[in-house]
Amino acid sequence: MEQMYAYKCTKCGKLHHPRYVVCQNPDCDGREFEEVPLGGKCKLLTWTRVYNLPEGYMQPWLHFGVVEFENGVRATGQIGFDEGIESGMELLATVGIVRKRRILYKESIDCEETGFVFVKP
Amino acid sequence: MAIASGMCDCVLVIGGEAMREVTGWEGTDFVATMLHPTAEYKYGLTLPSFAGMFTRLCMERFGVESKDLSIVSVKNHDNACHNPVAHIQRPVVLERITNPLYINATNPIVADPLRQFDMCPVSDGAAAVLLVAKDRQDELGFGKKPFVRVAGIASATDTHVVANRENPSDLLAVRLSAQKAYQMAGMGPEDIDVAELHDAFQILEIEESEEVGLFPRGQGHIAARNGDTKVGGKMPINTSGGLKAKGHPLGATGVSQIVELVRQLRGEAEGRQVEGAKTGLAVNFGGFGNNVVSTILTTK
Repeated sequence: MEQMYAYKCTKCGKLHHPRYVVCQNPDCDGREFEEVPLGGKCKLLTWTRVYNLPEGYMQPWLHFGVVEFENGVRATGQIGFDEGIESGMELLATVGIVRKRRILYKESIDCEETGFVFVKP
Repeated sequence: MAIASGMCDCVLVIGGEAMREVTGWEGTDFVATMLHPTAEYKYGLTLPSFAGMFTRLCMERFGVESKDLSIVSVKNHDNACHNPVAHIQRPVVLERITNPLYINATNPIVADPLRQFDMCPVSDGAAAVLLVAKDRQDELGFGKKPFVRVAGIASATDTHVVANRENPSDLLAVRLSAQKAYQMAGMGPEDIDVAELHDAFQILEIEESEEVGLFPRGQGHIAARNGDTKVGGKMPINTSGGLKAKGHPLGATGVSQIVELVRQLRGEAEGRQVEGAKTGLAVNFGGFGNNVVSTILTTK
């Protein structure tokens, strides 16, 4: 399973997710980042169940949520279960396949993208 | 800018978009590519998903109800009935889209808690505005038309990744751009007679009306409930029908908001005219609040 990372500015220590080119701290101009594993327990801030998914998904609906990790980093991802989702609940971040795509160029290439899937702890 | 610097006398601004050439899924996918590629788009997130999550936050924080969104939607549809260039010129009955007995048939959920009538349609459209230098109006033959002046215009940005915002239930870029535009115009929210806000999702009309200072924070949905935002109310919003009923062809929306304000300020908006409108505010929105442009037009 792939590991997801937060990116720590080596100058001021601010954590980022996703990767940025320049540190997002307005008082810092750091451009070097150190990878810190991101995962584990997190708190669900808000969520939604979406029925009109973009091209390529074969499910009737999907759940999405924004979570806050214990180190304060916020991230968006899919929620891996259907029942009993509530704002403020504790979740566990895992990494899974979030999108399958077929790229059509000369010959078709199937690719899978991995990202956060939040499950019940 | 080209006119202010003296380089041009006359500038034609055109916006347009054809969105109904592709299927709904493809269209949703194209629009979603404006989200962050690795943190948002790859998960299958779309603009309605973010609006759904944003609505849930507002419901928990300010007590906005699903019915308030329907009230805004009905108001915008009523306004569009008087706008001959609107996409959907049909009235909507509040009872028909809120009655719990058949709500899932007439107004199905799209991105929980958002329903079909809480978001804009997919439209084709185009709009244009002609800007003319003030000292060349007579010479170019435009002297007889009532003119509208751009009093203030400003843009502001927020983080591309929505999750990285400090307060996810705030639209910071809307607030900052409106403040800068007020400053440039030397006016305040109390001077605004009519506003065109970016209601791609009805929750945004409510939240933007608070962020630009037309209503106190947390009171936007109560004002909508009381009918203050109707034509003839205290603060008419989206007299054109808004994005909900006028339509939301992405590239044309910003210009069409200006077109509506110009009609209102010239007194040409038949059937939906705001009496004595002298100053108007337009707020246009890119992405999910990533970059926002506020424009203040006036005849003063």
